Amino acid sequence: MKALLAAMRRAEVLLTTTAFVVLIAVIFGDVVMRRVTGSGIVWARELGVFANIVLTIIGIGLASSDGTHLRPRVFDRLVPRDWDPAMTRIQEALTAIAFGTLAWIAYGVVQETIALDDRSIVLRWAVWPIQLCLPLAFAAGFVRHGIFALDPALRPGDRGEGDVP
Amino acid sequence: MSALWLVLIALGLLFLRQYVVVVLAVVVGYVYMVWGDGRLENIVLDGWDALNQDVLLPIPLYMLAGAIMAEGAIAERLIRVMRALAGPIPGGLAVATCLSCGLFAAIVGSSTVTLLAVGAIMYPALLQAGYSKSFSIGLICAGATLGIIIPPSIPLILYGVMTATSISDLFLAGVGPGLLLMGLFTAYAVTTNWRRRTGTWQLRELLDSLRGGIWAMFMPVLILGGIYSGQFTATESAAVAVMYALVVELFVYRKLDLRGLLRVSTETTRLLGGLFPVLMMALALNKFLTFEQVPARIVESLSAWLSSPTEFLLMTNVLLLVVGCIMDIGSAILILAPILQPVAEAQGMHPVHFGIMMTVNLEIGYLTPPLGLNIIVAMTAFRENFWFICRALLPFIGLMLVGLAVVAAWPDLSLFLLTP
Repeated sequence: MKALLAAMRRAEVLLTTTAFVVLIAVIFGDVVMRRVTGSGIVWARELGVFANIVLTIIGIGLASSDGTHLRPRVFDRLVPRDWDPAMTRIQEALTAIAFGTLAWIAYGVVQETIALDDRSIVLRWAVWPIQLCLPLAFAAGFVRHGIFALDPALRPGDRGEGDVP
Repeated sequence: MSALWLVLIALGLLFLRQYVVVVLAVVVGYVYMVWGDGRLENIVLDGWDALNQDVLLPIPLYMLAGAIMAEGAIAERLIRVMRALAGPIPGGLAVATCLSCGLFAAIVGSSTVTLLAVGAIMYPALLQAGYSKSFSIGLICAGATLGIIIPPSIPLILYGVMTATSISDLFLAGVGPGLLLMGLFTAYAVTTNWRRRTGTWQLRELLDSLRGGIWAMFMPVLILGGIYSGQFTATESAAVAVMYALVVELFVYRKLDLRGLLRVSTETTRLLGGLFPVLMMALALNKFLTFEQVPARIVESLSAWLSSPTEFLLMTNVLLLVVGCIMDIGSAILILAPILQPVAEAQGMHPVHFGIMMTVNLEIGYLTPPLGLNIIVAMTAFRENFWFICRALLPFIGLMLVGLAVVAAWPDLSLFLLTP
């Protein structure tokens, strides 16, 4: 299970880093082109938005992997400390169920998008390959949090610090 | 009855230690099932629509630019400049700490990173110079929050996204209140440490330190100057900020290599992965509420109930102070901004002014128990107990409340840079 988690993380880092590079390149390229030629790159914003979607949705996995999803701790002290191991398993199991449900719903949405042949406005690309990151990310969340529920020792600890920078 | 169930379910999930994204997903699902058309696909479809807009692009870009700049020795360089500038005045080291916090936080945009980076250097220096433990911890913790309001600020972008308010205008409006709070902290540092001075002004040291720190100090000028002069939109200035940070760290300071860059990018993505799904769910909920005209109905009922804008200001600020004690600033803005902003506008408040007031208010939540983030980080960083830090923060919370009152009562402080 440890190897599976590591492999998932490597894939997520690769995808999100690529998306970040694309995002920076197209938006900065657009600014430069506008200065140099007087007109920007017409498809830059759309490609930037797609890169941002891949970056931030696949990034859900990295947040799960490092335990940094936002979580209010206001009720934590209502439960005796002895209960913490059980509470952790319940927490992770419920999160896995929520992500699993979202993955299933998102898969249905992608199927609908394919059936409707939805295309982006400027690039005229089929939308579903980008949209596919939603069920994939949610499914990864289901697997990851499911593993954490089964074996809490693999959990990264709860760092959900809420420091929106 | 259905609404009561919704509240109970949300509280139950929080009790079971669920993440904000899960709580919001369940809330949105429940709302669609009970009051909507019952199609759960709408959670994902509305979430997709929420993400599929270019107004969100500045968030990852500013966060990456800040993370790149924080990676190098920027804190050390800024502190050297501020010490050279402020050292010889009364309470000079404290003033230098305050200015360093404000400037560093404006560049990296993170309160905890500022607390750790500036605190690591300035806390021992302040103690060595004879400042009390309590004052030093309070100053560093409070100073670190300044980045929330000084642009570029992610909470301001979130407010802009949730309420369709211009992000560029919010950035410009953050300047006045940011300077006010910095001025209040500085004045307090000077008056309470009037007899403490360190050395005299040394032109050579000042020039040397400026040579080292000028590149980092230029970043906020580039961002704000670009927006104010109309050269860049918020998204464009964010992309320029990333490229500028890359050039400075890779070729000028040479503190960052490709491996470090990959680490910074992954770290930023980790934060984005925590923030964006919450944003997605909050925007989906907001879309449903707007479609059902819920904010309009809230405005209508509250307008009949509220007797004056002052009453609204007081009530809102008390509510936000309580919320700031138990919730992080991002989640609070995502959930409350779309509900409160229409009411504020109906009470005659400028949406930009309301956004600034809301952000300044929630900024105080970083310093208030039981969940103030800076208290928790300071416990580890300065090895002091929770209640000692809370007591140390009291005068600074008082100053911030004064600042909040001024920001709330004086709209022009926020709006003076905006073109009419």
